[in-house]
Amino acid sequence: MESVEALPARSPTGELIGTGFNSQIGDEIQRLISVPPDSGSSFTALLELPANQAMELLIHSSEDAATIAQNPSATIAECRLSPPAPVPIFPSDAALVERASKFSSIMSTDEISRAKLGTVKEEPLDSVSNPNSNSSPAVSNPAVDQNTKSTKRKDREKKGKESNKKSKKPANESSDDGGEKLPYVHVRARRGQATDSHSLAERARREKINARMKLLQELVPGCNKISGTAMVLDEIINHVQSLQRQVEFLSMRLATVNPRVDFDFDTLLATESRSHVDMSFPGMVMPSMWPEGQVHMNREQYQQPWQTDELQQPVWIREEDNSNFITPENSLLSYDSSANSAPLHSNQVKMEM
Amino acid sequence: MRSPGSVKREFLRKWLKGLQVYSSSNNEMSILERKKVIKLSADVAMASTRIHSNSKYSSSWSRALMAKASNDASNAPLLSHVLGSDNGVSADRSMISEKDAAKRNLVMMRNKRIKSKKILRRSCSNKIRSLRRKAAHVVDDKGRTSSNIVAKKLVMKRTQVLKRLVPGGELIMDEISLIRETLDYILSLRLQVDVMRHLANASEKLDSM
Repeated sequence: MESVEALPARSPTGELIGTGFNSQIGDEIQRLISVPPDSGSSFTALLELPANQAMELLIHSSEDAATIAQNPSATIAECRLSPPAPVPIFPSDAALVERASKFSSIMSTDEISRAKLGTVKEEPLDSVSNPNSNSSPAVSNPAVDQNTKSTKRKDREKKGKESNKKSKKPANESSDDGGEKLPYVHVRARRGQATDSHSLAERARREKINARMKLLQELVPGCNKISGTAMVLDEIINHVQSLQRQVEFLSMRLATVNPRVDFDFDTLLATESRSHVDMSFPGMVMPSMWPEGQVHMNREQYQQPWQTDELQQPVWIREEDNSNFITPENSLLSYDSSANSAPLHSNQVKMEM
Repeated sequence: MRSPGSVKREFLRKWLKGLQVYSSSNNEMSILERKKVIKLSADVAMASTRIHSNSKYSSSWSRALMAKASNDASNAPLLSHVLGSDNGVSADRSMISEKDAAKRNLVMMRNKRIKSKKILRRSCSNKIRSLRRKAAHVVDDKGRTSSNIVAKKLVMKRTQVLKRLVPGGELIMDEISLIRETLDYILSLRLQVDVMRHLANASEKLDSM
Protein backbone atom coordinates (compact mmCIF):
# COMPACT_ATOMS: atom_id res chain seq x y z
CA MET A 1 0.00 0.00 0.00
CA GLU A 2 2.90 2.29 0.57
CA SER A 3 3.74 2.52 -3.04
CA VAL A 4 0.16 3.42 -3.90
CA GLU A 5 0.25 6.29 -1.47
CA ALA A 6 3.60 7.38 -2.70
CA LEU A 7 2.41 7.38 -6.28
CA PRO A 8 0.85 10.87 -6.49
CA ALA A 9 4.02 12.34 -5.03
CA ARG A 10 6.00 10.51 -7.57
CA SER A 11 4.14 11.35 -10.72
CA PRO A 12 4.81 15.13 -10.94
CA THR A 13 8.51 14.67 -10.38
CA GLY A 14 8.52 11.92 -12.90
CA GLU A 15 6.99 14.24 -15.42
CA LEU A 16 9.43 16.93 -14.51
CA ILE A 17 12.39 14.76 -15.09
CA GLY A 18 10.79 13.05 -18.00
CA THR A 19 10.24 16.29 -19.89
CA GLY A 20 13.82 17.25 -19.27
CA PHE A 21 12.69 20.24 -17.24
CA ASN A 22 15.96 20.71 -15.52
CA SER A 23 18.70 18.36 -16.44
CA GLN A 24 21.12 20.08 -14.11
CA ILE A 25 19.19 19.08 -11.08
CA GLY A 26 19.00 15.60 -12.46
CA ASP A 27 22.74 15.60 -12.74
CA GLU A 28 23.02 16.76 -9.20
CA ILE A 29 20.78 13.99 -8.02
CA GLN A 30 22.92 11.55 -9.87
CA ARG A 31 26.02 12.98 -8.31
CA LEU A 32 24.49 12.95 -4.87
CA ILE A 33 23.54 9.35 -5.23
CA SER A 34 26.85 8.49 -6.73
CA VAL A 35 28.70 9.83 -3.71
CA PRO A 36 28.88 6.76 -1.51
CA PRO A 37 28.08 7.05 2.19
CA ASP A 38 31.85 7.02 2.65
CA SER A 39 32.10 3.87 4.65
CA GLY A 40 33.69 0.58 3.98
CA SER A 41 31.30 -1.55 5.90
CA SER A 42 28.01 0.26 5.75
CA PHE A 43 27.76 0.16 2.00
CA THR A 44 28.38 -3.50 1.80
CA ALA A 45 25.90 -3.93 4.58
CA LEU A 46 23.41 -2.34 2.23
CA LEU A 47 23.84 -5.26 -0.06
CA GLU A 48 22.21 -7.53 2.44
CA LEU A 49 19.04 -5.48 2.46
CA PRO A 50 16.31 -5.77 -0.12
CA ALA A 51 17.04 -3.43 -2.95
CA ASN A 52 14.36 -0.84 -2.29
CA GLN A 53 15.34 -0.46 1.33
CA ALA A 54 18.93 -0.12 0.27
CA MET A 55 17.92 2.58 -2.16
CA GLU A 56 16.05 4.34 0.58
CA LEU A 57 19.09 4.22 2.80
CA LEU A 58 21.24 5.52 0.01
CA ILE A 59 18.89 8.36 -0.64
CA HIS A 60 18.63 9.21 3.01
CA SER A 61 22.36 9.33 3.43
CA SER A 62 22.72 11.53 0.40
CA GLU A 63 19.99 13.73 1.80
CA ASP A 64 21.96 14.00 4.98
CA ALA A 65 24.99 14.96 2.99
CA ALA A 66 22.95 17.59 1.21
CA THR A 67 21.59 19.10 4.40
CA ILE A 68 25.00 19.06 5.99
CA ALA A 69 26.63 20.72 3.05
CA GLN A 70 23.94 23.41 3.24
CA ASN A 71 24.12 23.79 -0.45
CA PRO A 72 20.89 25.47 -1.57
CA SER A 73 20.73 23.77 -4.92
CA ALA A 74 21.49 20.50 -3.25
CA THR A 75 18.56 20.96 -0.91
CA ILE A 76 16.36 21.60 -3.89
CA ALA A 77 17.63 18.40 -5.36
CA GLU A 78 16.84 16.70 -2.11
CA CYS A 79 13.24 17.79 -2.34
CA ARG A 80 13.06 16.30 -5.78
CA LEU A 81 14.76 13.20 -4.64
CA SER A 82 11.70 11.50 -3.26
CA PRO A 83 11.30 8.94 -6.05
CA PRO A 84 13.71 6.11 -5.50
CA ALA A 85 14.95 6.19 -9.05
CA PRO A 86 14.73 8.62 -11.94
CA VAL A 87 11.52 7.80 -13.71
CA PRO A 88 11.68 8.45 -17.41
CA ILE A 89 9.71 5.23 -17.93
CA PHE A 90 6.69 6.53 -16.15
CA PRO A 91 4.59 8.16 -18.87
CA SER A 92 4.41 5.05 -20.99
CA ASP A 93 3.42 3.13 -17.91
CA ALA A 94 0.74 5.69 -17.17
CA ALA A 95 -0.86 4.80 -20.46
CA LEU A 96 -0.81 1.24 -19.38
CA VAL A 97 -2.46 2.23 -16.15
CA GLU A 98 -5.26 3.95 -18.01
CA ARG A 99 -5.83 0.97 -20.18
CA ALA A 100 -6.14 -1.43 -17.34
CA SER A 101 -9.16 -1.62 -15.10
CA LYS A 102 -9.25 0.05 -11.73
CA PHE A 103 -8.10 -2.80 -9.60
CA SER A 104 -5.51 -4.00 -11.99
CA SER A 105 -4.21 -0.47 -12.23
CA ILE A 106 -3.26 -0.67 -8.62
CA MET A 107 -1.61 -3.95 -9.23
CA SER A 108 0.23 -2.65 -12.22
CA THR A 109 1.52 0.36 -10.34
CA ASP A 110 2.85 -2.06 -7.81
CA GLU A 111 4.46 -3.86 -10.61
CA ILE A 112 5.91 -0.69 -12.06
CA SER A 113 7.41 0.33 -8.79
CA ARG A 114 8.87 -3.10 -8.43
CA ALA A 115 10.30 -2.97 -11.90
CA LYS A 116 11.76 0.43 -11.19
CA LEU A 117 13.40 -0.76 -8.04
CA GLY A 118 14.91 -3.59 -9.91
CA THR A 119 14.13 -6.56 -7.72
CA VAL A 120 12.20 -7.48 -4.70
CA LYS A 121 9.33 -5.67 -3.15
CA GLU A 122 8.59 -5.11 0.49
CA GLU A 123 6.76 -7.38 2.86
CA PRO A 124 3.53 -5.37 3.22
CA LEU A 125 3.03 -5.27 -0.53
CA ASP A 126 3.57 -8.94 -0.53
CA SER A 127 0.83 -9.55 1.99
CA VAL A 128 -1.46 -7.35 -0.04
CA SER A 129 -0.95 -9.00 -3.35
CA ASN A 130 -0.86 -12.59 -2.32
CA PRO A 131 -4.43 -13.02 -1.07
CA ASN A 132 -5.61 -11.53 -4.32
CA SER A 133 -3.70 -13.96 -6.37
CA ASN A 134 -5.05 -16.76 -4.25
CA SER A 135 -8.69 -15.73 -4.34
CA SER A 136 -9.03 -14.61 -7.93
CA PRO A 137 -6.07 -15.49 -10.04
CA ALA A 138 -7.57 -14.07 -13.20
CA VAL A 139 -7.64 -10.50 -11.85
CA SER A 140 -4.24 -10.34 -10.31
CA ASN A 141 -2.31 -10.21 -13.50
CA PRO A 142 -3.07 -7.16 -15.61
CA ALA A 143 -1.98 -8.97 -18.67
CA VAL A 144 -4.85 -11.39 -18.19
CA ASP A 145 -7.39 -8.60 -18.43
CA GLN A 146 -6.30 -7.80 -21.91
CA ASN A 147 -6.56 -11.35 -23.08
CA THR A 148 -9.27 -12.49 -25.39
CA LYS A 149 -11.65 -15.18 -24.29
CA SER A 150 -10.05 -17.85 -26.39
CA THR A 151 -6.73 -17.52 -24.66
CA LYS A 152 -8.20 -17.10 -21.25
CA ARG A 153 -8.39 -20.76 -20.44
CA LYS A 154 -4.83 -21.33 -21.41
CA ASP A 155 -3.77 -18.43 -19.25
CA ARG A 156 -5.67 -19.76 -16.33
CA GLU A 157 -3.80 -22.97 -16.73
CA LYS A 158 -0.62 -21.01 -16.77
CA LYS A 159 -1.78 -19.24 -13.65
CA GLY A 160 -2.32 -22.52 -11.95
CA LYS A 161 1.16 -23.57 -12.86
CA GLU A 162 2.52 -20.33 -11.55
CA SER A 163 0.74 -20.62 -8.25
CA ASN A 164 2.12 -24.11 -7.98
CA LYS A 165 5.49 -22.67 -8.59
CA LYS A 166 4.91 -20.00 -6.02
CA SER A 167 4.05 -22.54 -3.41
CA LYS A 168 7.04 -24.55 -4.38
CA LYS A 169 9.43 -21.64 -4.45
CA PRO A 170 9.94 -20.84 -0.75
CA ALA A 171 11.70 -24.13 -0.10
CA ASN A 172 14.16 -23.53 -2.92
CA GLU A 173 14.66 -19.94 -1.96
CA SER A 174 15.35 -20.53 1.69
CA SER A 175 17.87 -23.15 0.78
CA ASP A 176 19.97 -21.14 -1.65
CA ASP A 177 19.45 -17.68 -0.22
CA GLY A 178 21.27 -17.26 3.01
CA GLY A 179 21.20 -13.55 3.76
CA GLU A 180 17.83 -12.26 2.66
CA LYS A 181 14.96 -14.46 3.64
CA LEU A 182 11.93 -13.73 1.58
CA PRO A 183 8.88 -15.91 1.63
CA TYR A 184 8.27 -15.61 -2.10
CA VAL A 185 10.20 -15.03 -5.23
CA HIS A 186 8.60 -12.17 -7.04
CA VAL A 187 9.05 -13.27 -10.54
CA ARG A 188 6.17 -12.87 -12.83
CA ALA A 189 6.03 -14.11 -16.35
CA ARG A 190 4.63 -11.79 -18.93
CA ARG A 191 2.86 -13.07 -21.98
CA GLY A 192 5.02 -15.24 -24.07
CA GLN A 193 7.65 -15.74 -21.44
CA ALA A 194 8.49 -19.16 -20.23
CA THR A 195 7.13 -20.23 -16.88
CA ASP A 196 9.00 -23.39 -16.11
CA SER A 197 11.01 -23.33 -12.94
CA HIS A 198 14.37 -23.07 -14.64
CA SER A 199 13.64 -19.94 -16.54
CA LEU A 200 11.90 -18.45 -13.53
CA ALA A 201 14.97 -19.05 -11.42
CA GLU A 202 17.12 -17.70 -14.20
CA ARG A 203 15.04 -14.56 -14.33
CA ALA A 204 15.29 -14.10 -10.58
CA ARG A 205 19.03 -14.50 -10.78
CA ARG A 206 19.25 -11.98 -13.58
CA GLU A 207 17.24 -9.47 -11.61
CA LYS A 208 19.52 -9.93 -8.64
CA ILE A 209 22.55 -9.38 -10.81
CA ASN A 210 20.98 -6.27 -12.27
CA ALA A 211 20.33 -4.84 -8.81
CA ARG A 212 23.90 -5.47 -7.76
CA MET A 213 25.15 -3.95 -10.98
CA LYS A 214 23.09 -0.89 -10.27
CA LEU A 215 24.72 -0.53 -6.89
CA LEU A 216 28.13 -0.90 -8.48
CA GLN A 217 27.19 1.66 -11.06
CA GLU A 218 26.34 4.12 -8.35
CA LEU A 219 29.56 3.40 -6.56
CA VAL A 220 31.88 3.93 -9.50
CA PRO A 221 32.14 7.57 -10.48
CA GLY A 222 31.05 8.51 -13.96
CA CYS A 223 29.26 5.24 -14.43
CA ASN A 224 25.70 6.46 -14.05
CA LYS A 225 24.99 7.51 -17.57
CA ILE A 226 26.38 4.48 -19.27
CA SER A 227 23.98 1.82 -20.32
CA GLY A 228 24.95 -1.62 -21.37
CA THR A 229 26.60 -4.20 -19.20
CA ALA A 230 29.81 -4.35 -21.17
CA MET A 231 30.44 -0.62 -20.91
CA VAL A 232 29.65 -0.60 -17.21
CA LEU A 233 32.02 -3.50 -16.69
CA ASP A 234 34.64 -1.56 -18.61
CA GLU A 235 34.25 1.37 -16.28
CA ILE A 236 34.42 -0.86 -13.23
CA ILE A 237 37.57 -2.52 -14.49
CA ASN A 238 39.11 0.86 -15.15
CA HIS A 239 38.20 2.02 -11.68
CA VAL A 240 39.63 -1.02 -9.95
CA GLN A 241 42.79 -0.78 -12.01
CA SER A 242 43.22 2.88 -11.24
CA LEU A 243 42.73 2.22 -7.55
CA GLN A 244 45.30 -0.53 -7.61
CA ARG A 245 47.68 1.70 -9.50
CA GLN A 246 47.08 4.39 -6.94
CA VAL A 247 48.02 2.02 -4.16
CA GLU A 248 51.21 1.17 -6.03
CA PHE A 249 51.97 4.79 -6.59
CA LEU A 250 51.32 5.77 -3.01
CA SER A 251 53.51 3.02 -1.67
CA MET A 252 56.20 4.16 -4.06
CA ARG A 253 55.78 7.66 -2.80
CA LEU A 254 56.00 6.50 0.77
CA ALA A 255 59.10 4.52 -0.07
CA THR A 256 60.87 7.46 -1.61
CA VAL A 257 60.20 9.65 1.38
CA ASN A 258 62.97 10.10 3.85
CA PRO A 259 63.63 6.95 5.87
CA ARG A 260 62.90 9.11 8.85
CA VAL A 261 59.32 7.95 8.34
CA ASP A 262 60.22 4.62 9.81
CA PHE A 263 61.42 6.28 12.94
CA ASP A 264 58.22 8.21 13.04
CA PHE A 265 56.38 4.97 12.91
CA ASP A 266 58.46 3.69 15.74
CA THR A 267 57.74 6.66 17.91
CA LEU A 268 54.11 6.48 16.93
CA LEU A 269 53.87 2.89 17.94
CA ALA A 270 55.74 3.54 21.12
CA THR A 271 53.27 6.20 22.09
CA GLU A 272 50.47 3.96 21.03
CA SER A 273 51.59 1.09 23.18
CA ARG A 274 51.91 3.47 26.09
CA SER A 275 48.47 4.91 25.59
CA HIS A 276 45.30 2.90 25.54
CA VAL A 277 45.22 0.73 22.48
CA ASP A 278 42.24 1.68 20.46
CA MET A 279 40.40 4.79 21.37
CA SER A 280 42.88 7.34 22.60
CA PHE A 281 45.45 6.51 19.96
CA PRO A 282 44.24 8.78 17.18
CA GLY A 283 43.45 11.70 19.37
CA MET A 284 46.77 11.65 21.12
CA VAL A 285 49.16 10.76 18.42
CA MET A 286 47.94 12.03 15.12
CA PRO A 287 47.83 15.76 15.92
CA SER A 288 51.47 15.59 16.85
CA MET A 289 52.15 14.06 13.50
CA TRP A 290 50.14 16.55 11.51
CA PRO A 291 51.56 20.03 11.22
CA GLU A 292 49.67 22.46 13.34
CA GLY A 293 48.82 24.94 10.61
CA GLN A 294 47.13 22.48 8.40
CA VAL A 295 45.03 21.02 11.13
CA HIS A 296 43.77 24.42 12.05
CA MET A 297 43.12 25.30 8.46
CA ASN A 298 41.10 22.20 7.97
CA ARG A 299 39.25 22.73 11.13
CA GLU A 300 38.28 26.24 10.22
CA GLN A 301 37.36 25.26 6.74
CA TYR A 302 35.31 22.25 7.47
CA GLN A 303 33.98 22.58 10.93
CA GLN A 304 30.93 24.38 9.67
CA PRO A 305 29.45 21.65 7.50
CA TRP A 306 30.25 18.79 9.83
CA GLN A 307 29.33 20.59 12.98
CA THR A 308 25.97 18.92 13.39
CA ASP A 309 26.88 15.41 14.29
CA GLU A 310 30.61 15.16 14.59
CA LEU A 311 31.38 17.40 17.50
CA GLN A 312 32.26 14.64 19.90
CA GLN A 313 34.61 12.86 17.57
CA PRO A 314 38.36 13.34 17.74
CA VAL A 315 40.25 15.37 15.20
CA TRP A 316 41.54 12.42 13.28
CA ILE A 317 38.12 11.20 12.30
CA ARG A 318 37.05 14.64 11.28
CA GLU A 319 40.09 14.88 9.08
CA GLU A 320 39.27 11.63 7.42
CA ASP A 321 35.75 12.69 6.80
CA ASN A 322 37.09 15.84 5.27
CA SER A 323 39.22 13.84 2.96
CA ASN A 324 36.19 11.84 1.95
CA PHE A 325 34.49 15.10 1.39
CA ILE A 326 37.25 16.20 -0.90
CA THR A 327 37.97 13.06 -2.84
CA PRO A 328 35.11 12.98 -5.32
CA GLU A 329 36.48 16.08 -7.00
CA ASN A 330 40.03 14.85 -6.93
CA SER A 331 39.25 11.37 -7.97
CA LEU A 332 37.99 12.22 -11.41
CA LEU A 333 41.27 13.88 -12.21
CA SER A 334 43.78 11.80 -10.40
CA TYR A 335 42.35 8.44 -11.30
CA ASP A 336 43.33 8.89 -14.91
CA SER A 337 46.95 7.99 -14.69
CA SER A 338 49.43 7.64 -11.94
CA ALA A 339 51.98 9.72 -13.80
CA ASN A 340 49.48 12.52 -14.08
CA SER A 341 48.61 12.49 -10.43
CA ALA A 342 52.02 13.47 -9.12
CA PRO A 343 51.70 17.21 -9.84
CA LEU A 344 48.13 16.99 -8.70
CA HIS A 345 49.12 15.70 -5.34
CA SER A 346 51.71 18.39 -4.86
CA ASN A 347 49.08 20.90 -5.86
CA GLN A 348 46.73 19.44 -3.34
CA VAL A 349 49.35 19.64 -0.66
CA LYS A 350 49.95 23.25 -1.52
CA MET A 351 46.27 23.92 -1.44
CA GLU A 352 46.03 22.37 1.95
CA MET A 353 48.89 24.41 3.21
CA MET B 1 27.75 -1.82 11.15
CA ARG B 2 31.02 -0.10 11.92
CA SER B 3 31.89 3.50 11.35
CA PRO B 4 34.42 4.20 8.60
CA GLY B 5 36.65 5.96 11.08
CA SER B 6 37.13 2.89 13.20
CA VAL B 7 37.88 0.72 10.18
CA LYS B 8 40.44 3.24 9.03
CA ARG B 9 42.01 3.34 12.43
CA GLU B 10 42.23 -0.39 12.61
CA PHE B 11 43.78 -0.56 9.18
CA LEU B 12 46.30 2.11 10.06
CA ARG B 13 47.25 0.39 13.28
CA LYS B 14 47.78 -2.94 11.57
CA TRP B 15 49.67 -1.40 8.74
CA LEU B 16 52.03 0.47 11.04
CA LYS B 17 52.57 -2.74 12.98
CA GLY B 18 53.51 -4.47 9.77
CA LEU B 19 55.84 -1.70 8.73
CA GLN B 20 57.49 -1.76 12.10
CA VAL B 21 58.67 -5.31 11.50
CA TYR B 22 60.66 -4.25 8.50
CA SER B 23 61.97 -1.01 9.82
CA SER B 24 63.30 -2.82 12.85
CA SER B 25 64.64 -5.86 11.05
CA ASN B 26 66.88 -4.42 8.35
CA ASN B 27 67.42 -0.80 7.56
CA GLU B 28 69.34 -1.26 4.33
CA MET B 29 66.82 -1.64 1.54
CA SER B 30 66.52 -0.32 -1.95
CA ILE B 31 63.59 1.87 -2.86
CA LEU B 32 61.89 -0.86 -4.81
CA GLU B 33 62.18 -3.28 -1.93
CA ARG B 34 60.80 -0.71 0.42
CA LYS B 35 57.94 -0.06 -1.92
CA LYS B 36 57.15 -3.72 -2.20
CA VAL B 37 57.21 -4.10 1.54
CA ILE B 38 55.00 -1.10 2.09
CA LYS B 39 52.48 -2.29 -0.43
CA LEU B 40 52.46 -5.82 0.87
CA SER B 41 51.99 -4.73 4.43
CA ALA B 42 49.22 -2.38 3.44
CA ASP B 43 47.46 -5.13 1.51
CA VAL B 44 47.79 -7.61 4.31
CA ALA B 45 46.58 -5.09 6.83
CA MET B 46 43.59 -4.27 4.66
CA ALA B 47 42.73 -7.89 4.14
CA SER B 48 43.02 -8.65 7.82
CA THR B 49 40.73 -5.77 8.68
CA ARG B 50 38.15 -7.10 6.28
CA ILE B 51 38.44 -10.65 7.54
CA HIS B 52 38.19 -9.41 11.05
CA SER B 53 35.17 -7.25 10.53
CA ASN B 54 33.33 -9.78 8.42
CA SER B 55 32.60 -12.60 10.74
CA LYS B 56 29.08 -12.92 9.40
CA TYR B 57 29.67 -12.94 5.70
CA SER B 58 33.25 -13.36 4.74
CA SER B 59 34.74 -11.58 1.81
CA SER B 60 36.74 -14.07 -0.15
CA TRP B 61 39.09 -11.56 -1.73
CA SER B 62 40.70 -10.82 1.62
CA ARG B 63 41.08 -14.53 2.30
CA ALA B 64 42.64 -15.01 -1.10
CA LEU B 65 45.03 -12.14 -0.49
CA MET B 66 46.06 -13.60 2.85
CA ALA B 67 46.53 -17.03 1.39
CA LYS B 68 48.66 -15.63 -1.39
CA ALA B 69 50.76 -13.67 1.06
CA SER B 70 51.19 -16.65 3.34
CA ASN B 71 52.43 -18.80 0.48
CA ASP B 72 55.65 -16.85 0.55
CA ALA B 73 57.64 -17.99 3.55
CA SER B 74 59.50 -14.70 3.85
CA ASN B 75 56.26 -12.95 4.72
CA ALA B 76 55.66 -15.06 7.77
CA PRO B 77 56.96 -12.54 10.33
CA LEU B 78 54.92 -9.77 8.78
CA LEU B 79 51.76 -11.84 8.77
CA SER B 80 52.16 -13.02 12.30
CA HIS B 81 52.90 -9.50 13.41
CA VAL B 82 49.97 -7.91 11.64
CA LEU B 83 47.54 -10.62 12.56
CA GLY B 84 48.73 -11.13 16.07
CA SER B 85 48.73 -7.49 16.95
CA ASP B 86 45.33 -7.60 18.51
CA ASN B 87 45.11 -9.44 21.77
CA GLY B 88 48.30 -11.37 22.25
CA VAL B 89 48.57 -15.07 21.76
CA SER B 90 44.98 -16.17 21.65
CA ALA B 91 44.03 -13.76 18.91
CA ASP B 92 47.17 -14.80 17.11
CA ARG B 93 46.25 -18.43 17.27
CA SER B 94 42.68 -17.83 16.19
CA MET B 95 43.87 -15.70 13.32
CA ILE B 96 46.36 -18.30 12.21
CA SER B 97 43.68 -20.94 12.36
CA GLU B 98 41.54 -18.66 10.30
CA LYS B 99 44.38 -18.38 7.84
CA ASP B 100 44.52 -22.15 7.66
CA ALA B 101 40.83 -22.20 7.15
CA ALA B 102 41.23 -19.75 4.32
CA LYS B 103 43.83 -21.98 2.74
CA ARG B 104 41.67 -25.03 3.16
CA ASN B 105 38.80 -23.08 1.74
CA LEU B 106 40.85 -22.24 -1.31
CA VAL B 107 41.85 -25.85 -1.86
CA MET B 108 38.28 -26.96 -1.42
CA MET B 109 37.07 -24.35 -3.83
CA ARG B 110 39.65 -25.48 -6.32
CA ASN B 111 38.52 -29.08 -6.05
CA LYS B 112 34.94 -28.08 -6.35
CA ARG B 113 35.81 -25.99 -9.31
CA ILE B 114 37.45 -28.86 -11.13
CA LYS B 115 34.44 -31.01 -10.42
CA SER B 116 32.00 -28.38 -11.48
CA LYS B 117 34.05 -27.49 -14.49
CA LYS B 118 33.19 -30.76 -16.12
CA ILE B 119 29.52 -30.26 -15.53
CA LEU B 120 29.79 -26.72 -16.73
CA ARG B 121 31.60 -27.69 -19.86
CA ARG B 122 29.05 -30.30 -20.67
CA SER B 123 26.11 -28.00 -20.16
CA CYS B 124 27.88 -25.14 -21.89
CA SER B 125 28.61 -27.18 -24.96
CA ASN B 126 24.98 -28.20 -25.05
CA LYS B 127 23.90 -24.63 -24.67
CA ILE B 128 26.31 -23.33 -27.28
CA ARG B 129 25.21 -25.97 -29.69
CA SER B 130 21.57 -25.08 -29.22
CA LEU B 131 22.43 -21.40 -29.41
CA ARG B 132 24.23 -21.90 -32.67
CA ARG B 133 21.35 -23.85 -34.03
CA LYS B 134 19.00 -21.14 -32.90
CA ALA B 135 21.23 -18.42 -34.29
CA ALA B 136 21.50 -20.10 -37.64
CA HIS B 137 17.79 -20.46 -37.55
CA VAL B 138 16.83 -16.97 -36.53
CA VAL B 139 19.46 -14.76 -38.10
CA ASP B 140 17.77 -15.24 -41.43
CA ASP B 141 14.72 -13.16 -40.56
CA LYS B 142 16.17 -11.10 -37.68
CA GLY B 143 19.73 -10.03 -37.10
CA ARG B 144 19.20 -9.67 -33.39
CA THR B 145 20.35 -13.00 -32.11
CA SER B 146 23.83 -12.74 -33.53
CA SER B 147 24.26 -9.32 -31.95
CA ASN B 148 23.01 -10.82 -28.71
CA ILE B 149 25.71 -13.41 -28.91
CA VAL B 150 28.33 -10.77 -29.59
CA ALA B 151 27.19 -8.75 -26.58
CA LYS B 152 27.28 -11.83 -24.41
CA LYS B 153 30.80 -12.52 -25.55
CA LEU B 154 31.86 -8.97 -24.72
CA VAL B 155 30.41 -9.26 -21.24
CA MET B 156 32.08 -12.63 -20.76
CA LYS B 157 35.45 -11.21 -21.71
CA ARG B 158 35.12 -8.33 -19.32
CA THR B 159 33.98 -10.62 -16.57
CA GLN B 160 37.14 -12.65 -17.08
CA VAL B 161 39.26 -9.50 -16.79
CA LEU B 162 37.43 -8.47 -13.65
CA LYS B 163 37.98 -11.91 -12.17
CA ARG B 164 41.66 -11.54 -12.76
CA LEU B 165 41.68 -8.12 -11.11
CA VAL B 166 39.88 -9.02 -7.91
CA PRO B 167 42.07 -11.25 -5.77
CA GLY B 168 40.62 -14.72 -5.58
CA GLY B 169 38.22 -13.82 -8.34
CA GLU B 170 39.22 -16.76 -10.52
CA LEU B 171 37.66 -19.07 -8.00
CA ILE B 172 34.33 -17.32 -7.94
CA MET B 173 31.95 -19.03 -10.23
CA ASP B 174 28.71 -17.10 -10.05
CA GLU B 175 28.34 -13.50 -11.03
CA ILE B 176 26.37 -12.36 -8.02
CA SER B 177 29.13 -13.07 -5.57
CA LEU B 178 31.68 -11.73 -8.03
CA ILE B 179 29.85 -8.43 -8.10
CA ARG B 180 29.58 -8.40 -4.33
CA GLU B 181 33.26 -9.10 -3.98
CA THR B 182 34.05 -6.35 -6.44
CA LEU B 183 31.96 -3.89 -4.46
CA ASP B 184 33.67 -4.83 -1.25
CA TYR B 185 37.08 -4.72 -2.86
CA ILE B 186 36.53 -1.31 -4.41
CA LEU B 187 35.41 0.13 -1.10
CA SER B 188 38.36 -1.20 0.81
CA LEU B 189 40.75 -0.13 -1.91
CA ARG B 190 39.36 3.35 -1.60
CA LEU B 191 39.82 3.28 2.13
CA GLN B 192 43.35 2.06 1.70
CA VAL B 193 44.16 4.76 -0.82
CA ASP B 194 42.71 7.34 1.49
CA VAL B 195 44.75 6.37 4.51
CA MET B 196 47.89 5.96 2.45
CA ARG B 197 47.47 9.35 0.90
CA HIS B 198 47.05 10.90 4.31
CA LEU B 199 50.18 9.25 5.55
CA ALA B 200 52.16 10.22 2.47
CA ASN B 201 51.04 13.81 2.73
CA ALA B 202 51.91 13.91 6.39
CA SER B 203 55.35 12.43 5.96
CA GLU B 204 56.16 14.68 3.03
CA LYS B 205 55.16 17.65 5.08
CA LEU B 206 57.32 16.48 7.91
CA ASP B 207 60.15 16.22 5.44
CA SER B 208 59.71 19.69 4.08
CA MET B 209 59.61 21.19 7.51
